[in-house]
Amino acid sequence: MAMNSKRINSRDMDSANRRAFLSNCGMGFSSLALGAMLARDGVGRVNDPQDWQPPNGQPHFPPKAKSVIWLFMNGGVSQAESFDPKPELTKYAGKSISETPFADVQNPEKLKLARVTVINDANGQQRNKLYPLQVGYRKYGESGIEMSDWVPNIGSCADDLAVIRSMWTTDDNHGAQTQFHSGRHMLDGEFPTLGAWVHYGLGSLNDNLPQFISMGNREYWNIKDGHYLGPAHDAVPIRVDPANPLDFGKPAVGLSEAEQKLGFDLVNGLNRLRADAYPNDSALEARIKAYELAFRMQTSVPESLNFQEETAATHEMYGLNEPETKEFGMQMLATRRLVERGVRFIQVQHGAGGAGAWDAHGGLKANHEKNFKAVDKPIAGLLKDLKQRGLLDSTLVVFASEFGRTPGTQGSDGRDHHIFGFSVWMAGGGVKGGVVHGATDEIGFHAVENRHYVTDIHATILKQLGLDSRKLEIPGRKRLDIDHGKAIDEILKT
Amino acid sequence: MRFLESNRFRYAQLLESVAVLLMGLALHGAILADEHDHYLKSVRPVLQSRCFACHGALKQEANLRLDTVASMLRGGDTGQAIQSGDASTSLMVERIAAHEESSRMPPEGEPLLASQIEAIKKWLNEGAIAPPNEQPERDPREHWAFVAPVRPALPVNTAANPIDAFLSEKYAEKSLVPQQDAEPAIWLRRVSLDLVGLPPTSDELKNFELDHTPQAQRLVVERLLNSPHYGERWGRHWMDIWRYSDWWGLGEEVRNSQKHMWHYRDWVVESLNTDQGYDQMLQDMLAADELHPNDLKRLRASGFLARQYFKFNRTSWLDETIEHTSKAMMGLTFNCCKCHDHKYDPISQEDYYRLRAVFEPYQIRQEMTPVGIDFQKDAIPRAFDCNLELPTYVHTRGDDRNPNTSRSMEPAVPAILRWEPFSIHPVSLPKEAYEPGLRDFVEEAYRRDAESNLMVAQKKASEAKEQLDKAQGVPASESETENAARKTAIDVATGEFVIAEKSSEKWRLELEAIAKRFAADRAKHGETPVDALALLVRAAAISDLSLALAKAEEGVARAELESLKSTPATKEASEKKVADARTALELAKKQMDAPGEIYVSMRGAEKSAESNLESEESRKKAFPKTSTGRRTALARWLIDRRNPLTARVAVNHIWSRHFGRPIVATVFDFGRKGAAPTNQKLLDWLAVELMENNWSLKHIHRIILSSDAYRRTSSNRNADPKNLAIDPENQFLWRMNAIRMESQMVRDSLLALAGELDLKMGGPPLPAADEKSRRRSLYFFHSHNEHNKLLSAFDDANVLDCYRRGESIVPQQALALENSSLAMEMVEQITKKLTGENPMAADVDFARTAFVRLLASEPSRSELEWMETSMQKIRSLSENASSENAAKQARLGLVRGLVNHNDFITIR
Repeated sequence: MAMNSKRINSRDMDSANRRAFLSNCGMGFSSLALGAMLARDGVGRVNDPQDWQPPNGQPHFPPKAKSVIWLFMNGGVSQAESFDPKPELTKYAGKSISETPFADVQNPEKLKLARVTVINDANGQQRNKLYPLQVGYRKYGESGIEMSDWVPNIGSCADDLAVIRSMWTTDDNHGAQTQFHSGRHMLDGEFPTLGAWVHYGLGSLNDNLPQFISMGNREYWNIKDGHYLGPAHDAVPIRVDPANPLDFGKPAVGLSEAEQKLGFDLVNGLNRLRADAYPNDSALEARIKAYELAFRMQTSVPESLNFQEETAATHEMYGLNEPETKEFGMQMLATRRLVERGVRFIQVQHGAGGAGAWDAHGGLKANHEKNFKAVDKPIAGLLKDLKQRGLLDSTLVVFASEFGRTPGTQGSDGRDHHIFGFSVWMAGGGVKGGVVHGATDEIGFHAVENRHYVTDIHATILKQLGLDSRKLEIPGRKRLDIDHGKAIDEILKT
Repeated sequence: MRFLESNRFRYAQLLESVAVLLMGLALHGAILADEHDHYLKSVRPVLQSRCFACHGALKQEANLRLDTVASMLRGGDTGQAIQSGDASTSLMVERIAAHEESSRMPPEGEPLLASQIEAIKKWLNEGAIAPPNEQPERDPREHWAFVAPVRPALPVNTAANPIDAFLSEKYAEKSLVPQQDAEPAIWLRRVSLDLVGLPPTSDELKNFELDHTPQAQRLVVERLLNSPHYGERWGRHWMDIWRYSDWWGLGEEVRNSQKHMWHYRDWVVESLNTDQGYDQMLQDMLAADELHPNDLKRLRASGFLARQYFKFNRTSWLDETIEHTSKAMMGLTFNCCKCHDHKYDPISQEDYYRLRAVFEPYQIRQEMTPVGIDFQKDAIPRAFDCNLELPTYVHTRGDDRNPNTSRSMEPAVPAILRWEPFSIHPVSLPKEAYEPGLRDFVEEAYRRDAESNLMVAQKKASEAKEQLDKAQGVPASESETENAARKTAIDVATGEFVIAEKSSEKWRLELEAIAKRFAADRAKHGETPVDALALLVRAAAISDLSLALAKAEEGVARAELESLKSTPATKEASEKKVADARTALELAKKQMDAPGEIYVSMRGAEKSAESNLESEESRKKAFPKTSTGRRTALARWLIDRRNPLTARVAVNHIWSRHFGRPIVATVFDFGRKGAAPTNQKLLDWLAVELMENNWSLKHIHRIILSSDAYRRTSSNRNADPKNLAIDPENQFLWRMNAIRMESQMVRDSLLALAGELDLKMGGPPLPAADEKSRRRSLYFFHSHNEHNKLLSAFDDANVLDCYRRGESIVPQQALALENSSLAMEMVEQITKKLTGENPMAADVDFARTAFVRLLASEPSRSELEWMETSMQKIRSLSENASSENAAKQARLGLVRGLVNHNDFITIR
């Protein structure tokens, strides 16, 4: 694909300057992400504090993980029926919370952290009547972590999981999705998401692939990530469809590979030759590099989604042979292939429709049964596959949703949004396996032990990637302490 | 990427300031630089960034200042802050190193780093030596941007254009040698794209090349400024700054901004084209409802305030209004004062809430237009003062759940920027402004609507009659079942016919009622004698009741028909409906006996819900007859000749868009934390020039575009090597800056070059996903949730905040230009056009023409050869390289390549 630079060089290009330019724009794209490169060239600003440096693509300290897989269940997963079983709910089923020994959970002082977006909304309310567990639970693995019967496959990976049962957030509506990703309540505005920060801070693992990819359903919340970091740090959305994985990913009108190749050579040659009239033009140099990556992406992205070379056992492992698990299974398999090829951050959102498929205001049992059926096996497949390929140590997997669901019932058979205590788990990337961190009270209402706001998850991930979020700040964009969060060191291997 | 100045620029600045510092030290002789190095390098900067805000020029908490060593020694309420030679007894150390959060300084944010504390201790232990003549922080009121601009004297040099005179002064000062002019065709492309957002046509290129007269450039500028497309191009710029957005929400529910915002967009475009003064534009955006309450065209301007609408939280809504009015129009960052006094600028938290009080009463309503009565189809979103008495409280720590209700804030602008009392004069509104139903076209619109409904109803009635005749025409039969069916058919047709008749009657009465209601409304708001008014009101009330009666009769007819059609399963329910309808009819009849004076006034406007809690009834409240005049007062203050910020902020935005880089880099922050102007005289001169020429924006464009600076090449080639060393980032404009085309321009240029552009202006937006439209890109629906995919790839305007467009360079852009159907179609059209001009052209000639047309630049010999070779290679993919198809493919390939050329999407 390299143009015949000798040939051009032999014409009217003679200055040393020209040679330097050509070599600078050649194939040696080094290991820096385009984003990081552009950040270096472009994000600096007049009058910036003298101690501020835009990121150079290198971690700030030795990293434990290279890639992040961010699994997000849209709508809100019931903690009690998944990773934080609460038998007291069954024991006191039908009782009003005030009639139980746990009446104090509704002490108004304790409910204060809620920051209401939609006042008097039908959802996001206190639900007083305790609703019994809709599924059984058991101990999994040697570690014996208790999880529900809806997650037998994830359960079989228990000894690789660190379950955090003490999360809280503040938006009692689905703006909490944005909040979980950016760390800020929607009433504060829009802020870069974690993936964008990682993309902004770290260089590329593979010069042929975008470094921040999103898959799945993201209709409900804003599809941008970069915000003030700029659209260069938005996730590149892909579809698990090798024929059409990217927007504008292939010519709208058929062009042969040879034609495309010649077209690419033509453009690159012309751009390089323009350096004659416009020497030392950093935008021109960046344009050439971007163009090269675009050309490579057209083949590298579809290639990474081609499952034909995967064995039947792998297909089975990810649930590709069952209709219920096939869709998410394909996304998980694509995820592994992308991680394997060197993609930094992969964000997969599960659950289409409304504010997210998991939003079980009614019919919780049927809802969660179906949704867990769709994701349980594929996620376990991913964890096991990463492990057997030796990738789990360097890949941090996170399972989360914007909030949990109320201990009390909504309507006759649902649970409402619940922000005061819910669960997240992490695996791989230097996270300890088989541990439970933090706890909620007896009915899973409040996180009472080792409480963590959502940005603590961010901080934990950044730490494993070797990044200090305070060094990523952009002058003029003040971040608060809570935006940075605190790493959950207790769940990290030393 | 919002911040475009590169790092190297920063280094240059840093070097410069270090140099100045060193010079200063040298001047003070005797002192060894390194003796104060430690204080200046490791102590003062820490104090400056963490302590000065409360203990410096801005504020002196506890009467303590820490901005000079002398003042530290002098101390404050609790004594000396430092003890020279002894860190351990220095109060400062005690406080910054305190373990208890309650006694630790600084009180906000994180504690100082251990290394910073150590540095301070070291300095203290070594004697706390002060640098000679240490100056305290300057009084913030003296900050350059808080002092009104005065027209600076022109430098004594030969430049004809003041801009060049001021720039030349800097060249001389910095020993920079300006670059030569760009090729004429490049200049023409630059100025065309810059002013109208479209590349020059081939005729324009040719004519310009042939015109060697001295006024050639001036004529081009005039032609472009007079083009209606100037307003479209610059309208989009100002829409960026003013955060234009179509509505967004959840499903059909409007949560942000408002429907029909395009009226505001059209107002922006038209105002620019007619060169409304910038001062007039700001006034109308903030207060057209008070200044021109009956001028619907000008009321469109208050779309600026309608855009701020947020359904779920009034505080967020007003916070955004304050933040972005301040950033866009005043170049001030007010938002941090929401929670605490400003750390850098002399603006207090109370100032913030005083400014909020200016906006507190305003709400949004949709004003009916002559188009019709359906507010969903068309209306003008506009501001009006709704809650005149609503108090404004300071929110403790910025938390809206915690207002300090002991004192309400008076509306005002920040004290530091007040040169006279902020005087507010309430405005009495004309009757049509608070009773928009009185506008003539409103009656007309209701009548038109009723008339068309009547026509539909009458048509239905005659059809029903036909059906009935048909049913009755069926001859009676011997068969009982057939007869029963015949009877049912007749009954149903009769029922349908009765309904249709009643419905026609209803619409006829509706027409009558409309006339009577309007007559009564007019009389109510006119100088009608009491008796006459009473008669009109009574007539309207009777008319309304007759209408209600007709509706009730229609209701009974409908219920009866439904009952006739009912099955055993639905029988009971439908019989109940009949009974209910009959009761309603009886009630309507009874009401006719005592008509009273109640009738429905015609609505000429619909208020947008203040929040998700506002009831329908509350939304229908009468509009106030006065407006507070607060926003007018704010607008007048903004455009006052003594306002130090407004004109400077405006010319800085204009400059930035012509030259690709502003004079003040922080375009929305001219405060003390913002960047210093690279050339304050130039900025001030332009600001004064704007104010003294009726705030004519075209006047400023003209001056800028006729400058030598604007003519220069954007290339570094043949530049004086010193330039690159002294000012590698071209801070002082010794050459032109290349600018990446904005998203709209990329698409519009492709369409224009292909001859496909549809130049129809204005009107409702195109759907964001419309790939077939050939209209200009600013007409796409553009909101937070919906944006055109192709435009998004090129840093389209972020509707939340877009004071400068990003100029990112990412692979998705190449994919969009290479692969999108629009780009491919335009490539085909451009190729066809160029081929048509010279079908027999040799490849090399075709390549040359295409290159010049797309890039407005002559290809070099090597570029030409490369293009020819490439075309040859594409030909060789075909079976017969000299066939017509091979030639076509080669040309298509070439044009596709040029569209992807860096210089195609760059304004050189």
